[in-house]
Amino acid sequence: MRLIYQILWKDHSRTHLLGAFLGTLAGFVLLLAGIQFYIDIKSVLAENRDLLDPEYIVINKKVNIGQTLGLGRSGFTEDEIKELSEQAFADQVEPFLSNEFPVSGYTENERFPDFYTELFFEAIPDEFIDVKSDEWVWDPELGNIPVIIPQDYLNLYNFGFAPSQGLPQIPKGVLSMINFKLRLRGKYGFDDYNGQIVGFSNRIHSILVPLDFLTWANEKYGYFDKSNPSQLIVVSKDPTDPSIIRFLEEKGYDTIREKLKSSRMNIILKLIISFLVVVAAIIIGLAFLVFLLSLQLMISRSSDKIKKLNKLGFHYREISRPYILLLLVLMIAVTGLSLLVTSLLANKFHGMTLEWSLNTSSSLHGILFGISLGLVALISLANITAILISTKKLCK
Amino acid sequence: MIFRFEKMIPLPLLEQDTEGSEVWEAPSLLIEQGKSYVVEAASGRGKTSLLSVMYGIRHDYQGEVYLDDDNISSFGWKKWSALRKNKLSVIFQGLELFDDLTSLENILLKNNITAYRSRDRIVELARALGMEPFLNRKAGILSFGQQQRVAIIRALVQPFDFLLADECFSHMDKENTFKAYELIQKECSERNAGLVLTSLNETDLPGINTRLML
Repeated sequence: MRLIYQILWKDHSRTHLLGAFLGTLAGFVLLLAGIQFYIDIKSVLAENRDLLDPEYIVINKKVNIGQTLGLGRSGFTEDEIKELSEQAFADQVEPFLSNEFPVSGYTENERFPDFYTELFFEAIPDEFIDVKSDEWVWDPELGNIPVIIPQDYLNLYNFGFAPSQGLPQIPKGVLSMINFKLRLRGKYGFDDYNGQIVGFSNRIHSILVPLDFLTWANEKYGYFDKSNPSQLIVVSKDPTDPSIIRFLEEKGYDTIREKLKSSRMNIILKLIISFLVVVAAIIIGLAFLVFLLSLQLMISRSSDKIKKLNKLGFHYREISRPYILLLLVLMIAVTGLSLLVTSLLANKFHGMTLEWSLNTSSSLHGILFGISLGLVALISLANITAILISTKKLCK
Repeated sequence: MIFRFEKMIPLPLLEQDTEGSEVWEAPSLLIEQGKSYVVEAASGRGKTSLLSVMYGIRHDYQGEVYLDDDNISSFGWKKWSALRKNKLSVIFQGLELFDDLTSLENILLKNNITAYRSRDRIVELARALGMEPFLNRKAGILSFGQQQRVAIIRALVQPFDFLLADECFSHMDKENTFKAYELIQKECSERNAGLVLTSLNETDLPGINTRLML
């Protein structure tokens, strides 16, 4: 059968086939490298917990002048909470619990100036708090109240207030060591408790106490009218979902936009990768077309020979075989080479990211083999079909 | 194997005067295996058309053609491909050789389909027609008469029940014509095959059972 190959291969166009080969190769490398690095970067970001973990979004209503004048309530009603929790982006919605009694704090320490302030407390379940501390427990026997304050409060003091007033800056550790008293005032008297700052939250801008403490204290001291929660915390698995921002704007709710911006990295990454995938798809598509056309050109250049072979008794499938073999050889070469080039790139990338102390994979992810084989199978199948159709057309 | 023609006539010949034709005007015509036929006519009377219909590369005709009991219009490419491999062999008027291949390669291309003849036997056939020295020359540079002999050998390296030879001696001298005809007859009787030879005027060939005037 060597002769039939010799006859039919003579009419190939080397430049067309080479162009199609290189184009397909480039498309494959782009696609495979894009996927490889996407998986890598995603796993790197996953270690960096802030970015790809579910996002915690604290939502409040916008304050308007009506509320200032005491005409409206800024709290969320039960219906509003229910509506929010029904949104697709909201995996969990939890209202903040507020104190229903007056609280004040003061220091009794010779090393610090006396200090007194009215305070408020809020509480949410522990799982929403980004500070993990062994001291974050409420034990009624001990009467110690752990408190978490926003990191920003400390920054405000250390970098704003203290330097301008000639006061010393206070490091986190020292602040945690300061004991102060918390006075909880009930309708018929008050009690003093020891308070201690056990952590600083980046996520929640409020003065937090453990939920079981506040529930207990509201029971014991509370006498205010129950008010609607003024803040909600929403957990969203996909903070990149644009419907979050749309919903908030529609409802006139407010949040710290910066929080959502932190997810921008993810959006940009996804954008770049999808752009890459689209470009790769276009290149592969075009290369596929060139492949198809070069093979068809080859067949039509050989049409006289194909007709002759058919007259001699060759089956059209036998006549297609040289074309199919050529196609398969090129396709296998494309797969092999693209995987090789991608793995070289991955290796290089691995070396580079090591310098940035990021850990990416130095070998190819298994899924790449699947993807490239699937694509090659698809392209080959389509081409083989086209070859069979056009050779059959020439045969009688 | 028997070809049976029922008032078959290629469509282009309908507009032509075919009066007196022993093929186109015959109500029924049998071409049987084991017999030799010469179809004689001047150019343009449909000699090649007749062979093309029998070989399945022309389908534009009126009437019916049966191979044994099957109407050949019901044959698909699969059937024709099988017939051309084992039952029907043809020497085309246009030869249909591959110019880039040597004479031997042209013959081997066909022989490889069924591996019917050994290489030695092919060389013997070539020797019989005086073509042995040209076996390794490209077919494209041979004279037409030499090419005709390559095409004849190529047609003989497969099993067949009918050999269809379309003016295959047109460019050969008397001596070569005789040698080639002798070889063809020998090969046909070896296979008990039928021979259909078209010709402008090969009147003096021996061993012909039937002469048909187109």
